Amino acid sequence: MKKYAVIYRSVLIESLQYTANIAMGFISYLIIIFIFIHLWDYMYGTPGTLIAGYTKEQMIWYVMLTELIWFGTSSNTVTRQASMDIRGGNIAYLMNKPYHYTLYILARYIGECSVRLPMYAAVSALIGLTMVGSLAGFRLITLLAALPCILLGITIHAVFRLCISLLSFWIEDANPFHWLYNKLILVIGTIFPIEIFPEALQPLFKLTPIYTVCYGPAKLLIDFSVEKYAEVLAAQVLYLAAGCALMFFIYGKGVKKLYVNGG
Amino acid sequence: MNVIEAENLSKTFRVKRKEKGLQGSLKAIFHPQTEAVHAVDRISFTVEEGEMLAFIGPNGAGKSTTIKMLTGILYPDDGAVKVLGIDPSKKRKQLAYQIGTVFGQKEQLWTHLTPYDNFRFFGAIYDLPDAEAEARIRELSEIFELDAFINTPVRSLSLGQRIRCELAASLIHKPRVLFLDEPTIGLDPVVKENIRSLIKQMNKELHTTIFLTSHDVGDIEKLCKRIVIVNNGKIVLDDSMTHLKYHYLNKKIVELKLHEEAVLPQLAGITVLKQNGGHVKLEVDTGIMKINDALRHIDAENMVDINISNIPLENIIMEIYKAEGSSLKRGPLDGNHLKKEGL
Amino acid sequence: MSTAVKNELRVCMLSVKYNIMREMLNKVTFLTNILFMALNNATFIVQWVILFSLREDIGGYALRDVMLLWGLAASTFGLAHILFARAFSLPDLIINGKLDAYLVLPKNVLLSVLTSQTSVSAIGDLLYGLVILCVFSLSIGRFFLFVLFTVTGAVIYTAFALLMGSLSFWFVRAEMFAGHMTSSMVSFATYPDGIFKGAVKFLLYLVIPVGMAIYQPVHIMMDFNAGRLLAVLGYTLLLSAAAVFVFYRGLRRYSSSNLMEARG
Repeated sequence: MKKYAVIYRSVLIESLQYTANIAMGFISYLIIIFIFIHLWDYMYGTPGTLIAGYTKEQMIWYVMLTELIWFGTSSNTVTRQASMDIRGGNIAYLMNKPYHYTLYILARYIGECSVRLPMYAAVSALIGLTMVGSLAGFRLITLLAALPCILLGITIHAVFRLCISLLSFWIEDANPFHWLYNKLILVIGTIFPIEIFPEALQPLFKLTPIYTVCYGPAKLLIDFSVEKYAEVLAAQVLYLAAGCALMFFIYGKGVKKLYVNGG
Repeated sequence: MNVIEAENLSKTFRVKRKEKGLQGSLKAIFHPQTEAVHAVDRISFTVEEGEMLAFIGPNGAGKSTTIKMLTGILYPDDGAVKVLGIDPSKKRKQLAYQIGTVFGQKEQLWTHLTPYDNFRFFGAIYDLPDAEAEARIRELSEIFELDAFINTPVRSLSLGQRIRCELAASLIHKPRVLFLDEPTIGLDPVVKENIRSLIKQMNKELHTTIFLTSHDVGDIEKLCKRIVIVNNGKIVLDDSMTHLKYHYLNKKIVELKLHEEAVLPQLAGITVLKQNGGHVKLEVDTGIMKINDALRHIDAENMVDINISNIPLENIIMEIYKAEGSSLKRGPLDGNHLKKEGL
Repeated sequence: MSTAVKNELRVCMLSVKYNIMREMLNKVTFLTNILFMALNNATFIVQWVILFSLREDIGGYALRDVMLLWGLAASTFGLAHILFARAFSLPDLIINGKLDAYLVLPKNVLLSVLTSQTSVSAIGDLLYGLVILCVFSLSIGRFFLFVLFTVTGAVIYTAFALLMGSLSFWFVRAEMFAGHMTSSMVSFATYPDGIFKGAVKFLLYLVIPVGMAIYQPVHIMMDFNAGRLLAVLGYTLLLSAAAVFVFYRGLRRYSSSNLMEARG
């Protein structure tokens, strides 16, 4: 475990040197949030309306939080980098190192997110408080309680994306599959809370990564309840276990294929 | 006729300088410090039509900056340059029709197309009418012996075949001057030899002037009659290859294999480079002692084998680089001075 | 047309053709890229069906109007990335000195650079735009307008990328900035302009040229107006001219540059 901590630490320090580049990403984040503030302003029309049980402030905060997870975790490490390692043959050198390749990638990813996520969080808090207004019933203790959920969420997100990248063992370009996964997360879980969809579909969404990656953590932050908390945490632990099992399985198959066919 | 004329050609780069630590970083934001680097410093030379010239120097000496100024990629800060009577910084496009460039590390061919399609593409770039392009492709494919693979996609060709196609493609528009930047880099000795003979042929049959840069002494030695060495932005040597050898090859390397270890005489003009039992390596300065006199001091009965050779050109060039480097500390030293003094 | 112009265009067409041929080497990857990109765009239909179930008009748009907007945004993005993909990675060429290769050729530098790369998935975007048009609001007049605006939009989008990318001639750090600015144009292009009020509208016409590339064309297709059409055409020419001018100013700096740091 210690070696992964060392990898994490060195990536963290490296990322700290690129804070100016990361800050450039605020442009895109701010524009998206800007658009959503206008969109929901228009949709809510008269004050006091509720949509799917959300007030306007809750709705915008929800989008800000899920987009925060989205932008804070946008890293090439689990997507393009991993695909390139595999397609480019670099994997042959990495897989003989005394660590597990997938955990090595995850340690790097978490290292990057440890810099990006707090930076985006600070910006969100700032524009949220100035342009949207504070959330009714929000307490600092909620944030502390939800923190493990956020961390679990971004880890699960990375595990699934890495699984898709690992398909590069068999296909030339894993990108199209990333697009589809991203759109699932984005269209269903990020820009809307699940409650906005027809009731019949909602249980179905709870079975997808959306529930554990974006909806769960964001929902807890804007509308905390202990039952929900336990439910999300339990789902996340299950998801993480299943995701990791899948990841190790695909990786093992891929490496075996590499040994047989020589890439 | 001179195809290239450069007079006092100069290019100065400004390089940002930053002091160490956080304080230095902050200081650099408000008061950026720059330092002038004279990449090319008042270089003058001419190249005649049909010449094959080696333009060499250590990394960062100003070779590629000079080539960039000759081809119009970079504008000089000072001085004048004319290639085929054209000022490259003013009429880059017009010049481009008459020159060719091959950069060893960069491929210009489309790898998924056949050489033939590639040649047609380059024909289109240089505005050749179809009939002329066809005729030219036939001619080039004969000279470079491309017939066997002219319709095979470039990605399936061997490296050597590819380079032949690269060269042919750069000649599609009959350039009068060809700039070759490290044409044989990364190739195996057989292919290298092949490419060299093609370049030679090109120069002879098509009368193309060739301006070559290379770190490969073999390229220089086998191809060029004239050698120009740049270092620290200045020309430190501009001489014919035979002259260079004549001047610098007054030292011979003598390698001996002796029956039994012998004590060698201490004489002026003979330096023992290496001695390991019966194996001895000597350097004889023929300016001080003739080679036959030197041999007289060795017991012929004791000798099993002997090999006398010149100092490799590579070592000579290295010496010139080094001499220029150390002379900088003492102050500027012009090329002529160095030439007269020898090493 | 003069022979010089004809020759220029011939080389550009060949470049694009060969670029696409290269991508077609692996047919499976080629087709999945196109198909999945179209599917990818289609997922956003879900977003708008949901939004329109909450309210019947959004910023003066009905569902089919938003689809038209989306279709035009996709086809505009697609065409620009099929023909001129390099405009979007221009800073890489500038910062790493890769423009040299284009400077030794006797052809127009800007055109050779722009057409030197293609994006396969962009074909999916272009096709998606056309399919959306056919499904939601097809008429002969609208089809021709749609094609025309796809071209003007692609030109505006490319010109904007060229302007932003050219900043790298002066500022090394501008690479990321340029990327975020061009992608912000896509973000705005997929939401109806009616949700933005007041000063923001100025931003969308003056800073990010999405107004003339997407919003006005959609309004013209919904309700034809010759004056507005002329304004779009004029704006397209003006912005392109400005972009070309800035690029060549930058190129002059590239060639006379004495900042080694920016060159490698």
